[in-house]
Amino acid sequence: MRGVFPFAAGLAIMLAAGWVGFPHAIYKSRPQPVDFSHKVHADKAGQKCEDCHAFRPDGTFAGIPTLDKCAGCHAAPMGTTPAEKNFVDQYVTPVREPQWAAYASQPDNVFFSHIAHVKRGQIQCETCHGNHGSTDHLQPFQQDRISGYSRNIWQVSERVKTTRPSMTMAGCIDCHHEKGLEHSCLDCHK
Amino acid sequence: MTSTRRDLIKFGGGAAVGALLTPAPWRLVTDTALWSETWPGVPRVARGEIRARYTNCSLCPAGCPVRARCLGDQPVALFGVADHPFSHGTLCPFGLAGHHLPYHPQRLKQGPVEQAKAAVAEAIARCGAEERIAILDLRPGRTASWTYRRAAKQWKSGTYLAPHRILGGDAAVNLAAAKNVISVGAPLFDGWGTPGNVIAARDKFRLIQIEATESRTASLADTWVPVQPGDELQTARKFAQDLAAQGPTLVLDAGERSEILALNQTTGALGTAIVSRREAPVPDSWNQAAPESQLDALPDRSIRVLLIDESAAGSYIPWSRIEKKLVADNPVVVVFGSSADGYGRHAGFVLPTAVYPEAVDDIPPAVDSPVAMFRLSTSLVAAPAGLVNPAQFIAGFAGIDAANSLRERADAIHKAGRGNLFTYADAKSTPLKDVKADDFWKALNDGASWADEAPVRPAAPILALVASTANATEDDLPLAVLMAEAQPTPGSPILTKLYQESNLRLAANRIALHPSAAKSCGIADGGRAMLQTRCGKLEVQVTLDEGLPPGVVRVPAVPCTLDLCGTSPRAKVVRI
Repeated sequence: MRGVFPFAAGLAIMLAAGWVGFPHAIYKSRPQPVDFSHKVHADKAGQKCEDCHAFRPDGTFAGIPTLDKCAGCHAAPMGTTPAEKNFVDQYVTPVREPQWAAYASQPDNVFFSHIAHVKRGQIQCETCHGNHGSTDHLQPFQQDRISGYSRNIWQVSERVKTTRPSMTMAGCIDCHHEKGLEHSCLDCHK
Repeated sequence: MTSTRRDLIKFGGGAAVGALLTPAPWRLVTDTALWSETWPGVPRVARGEIRARYTNCSLCPAGCPVRARCLGDQPVALFGVADHPFSHGTLCPFGLAGHHLPYHPQRLKQGPVEQAKAAVAEAIARCGAEERIAILDLRPGRTASWTYRRAAKQWKSGTYLAPHRILGGDAAVNLAAAKNVISVGAPLFDGWGTPGNVIAARDKFRLIQIEATESRTASLADTWVPVQPGDELQTARKFAQDLAAQGPTLVLDAGERSEILALNQTTGALGTAIVSRREAPVPDSWNQAAPESQLDALPDRSIRVLLIDESAAGSYIPWSRIEKKLVADNPVVVVFGSSADGYGRHAGFVLPTAVYPEAVDDIPPAVDSPVAMFRLSTSLVAAPAGLVNPAQFIAGFAGIDAANSLRERADAIHKAGRGNLFTYADAKSTPLKDVKADDFWKALNDGASWADEAPVRPAAPILALVASTANATEDDLPLAVLMAEAQPTPGSPILTKLYQESNLRLAANRIALHPSAAKSCGIADGGRAMLQTRCGKLEVQVTLDEGLPPGVVRVPAVPCTLDLCGTSPRAKVVRI
């Protein structure tokens, strides 16, 4: 028994470190500049995803909207929440662009076309982004200290508690296989 | 309880097993791989404003218009220009990957510029009475070509040399006017002319492709006539006699052999499918320029200084034909190019030049353009420091200021006041007489092309045919050499990797043999061999191709094999 104890101790400690400690150590967390509520904008303002996350006329995806899009409505606070007041005071009034952190940023060597997936593939936003569009708060941006990419590429957020495919290469390939699409390396790594 | 070393080892073992059962090591491997993608020196994807910039592709004389999708200043994708009246929006695979070329691992970025200047100056100074200073321009018809001719005129014994061409200079092809096209190996659908123009004219002519193998063009022709090498003239003559009565019948030859192109004189092609083409206007002061000469017309051992502009891909003259014209004692040979794979292998000095799409140059009209054209290949990417502009380098030795020669040429064209300007951004065609000179120059730099007026009645040109020379008997060389299609060099690294790995085009060190020919040499597929001709030998790798006729070896049209086989149409292959 005594002979097994050191081995078991090492095993247990490393299991704890790997499963509990490592996720905390590997990621550094920072809050988003504004505690934005998708739920309020979807429910009360009646907005859909594409109202803010639109395609430009040339087909490129605009991504996270810029300040002028928000300032169109929020030139002055429209509600009573501290988050909105903070947004107007810190960003709208001084015309300062919020430095949003994109949860779904892909590595630089990846070419991803939103329009091909949305318009041609008829894929809903929720398919890849989960119910992010109905959240009341923005989760902190957790960045991998080594690779620099978001934790959200890898797995479902624990807060959201929903399922969506990961946005790693394996996740993309799995979805393409399910839909019977085969591609070459150059289609995504131009 | 004391811990022993054994306990420590057991603890470590447990920790190691535990680590493997956690996501940590696997995530660390993946994250390290991702992290390595951002190391210094790894190319970073451009981020920035997305915009379109326009230029013309200078990889071949087709000069297809190009729309570049740029992120900031970095071109990331190239496309054709839709609605262009000549190219019809097409761009070949080489053009589509042209933006890779500045990053080619074999491109030259440095060279012995000052040493070359000193050597040339010294050689010019001691040039003997019977000796020449020669400039070999592989792509004549450009504005730089006029600079070379002007420079040659300034020297007492200056000579301007260009590859001999029957079609593509003063005589051009109007494909749309041909009822039939008899092509002796000319790669009509694989790099011969302007892709968009050939495709647009396709429905107007019947194509008879005469060649030994079923090339890509042969597979798309109306009729493929397989022949043994050596029987092409006889076969072409028979078809020409039969088809001439149906309408203008154009005869083309991959090797521009005079005896084959001479058939156009009897098929009604002259004045219809082959027309006389005037050159784009030049400033009056430029007309004091040396004429174009041919290498074979020079006496042997007469060139003291040879300056070769290889910066723009064009016809390659086998080195053996050039070497015998050089003086025996220490000729000075300077090559201007972006790689050392061409004449750089034989030169004393190789000076690096800009590549497309770095270089600013004009593109002469293609062989299938019945009218003169003027278009610029403008710079989409900044060229690295240390490169040489061949025209300005050579002009410096002749006391000519060539820095603004393109603007001067544009002004001369504008002054002539004829033709139309097609601007790419808005796809508009405007008569040149309605455009101001400054606007014309700006439009050319922003992406446009000028096309001359077509004559009301096209003139029949006089073809510059030359007498053919009989080859010496080569009974000891059993294989006839078939040259594959020419390809622009350098090519995009990923494009060349793809097609060479698939053998769609022969790699530079590969040859193709019929299995029976390979078996008689004792060579298996992929085996190493020596390709030998009268001009030398080259180590190659053999690919078996049942589509080849026996008795034939197919070689790539790259400088090392063109040197070997360009003047020696027969070869033998010996297993190593």
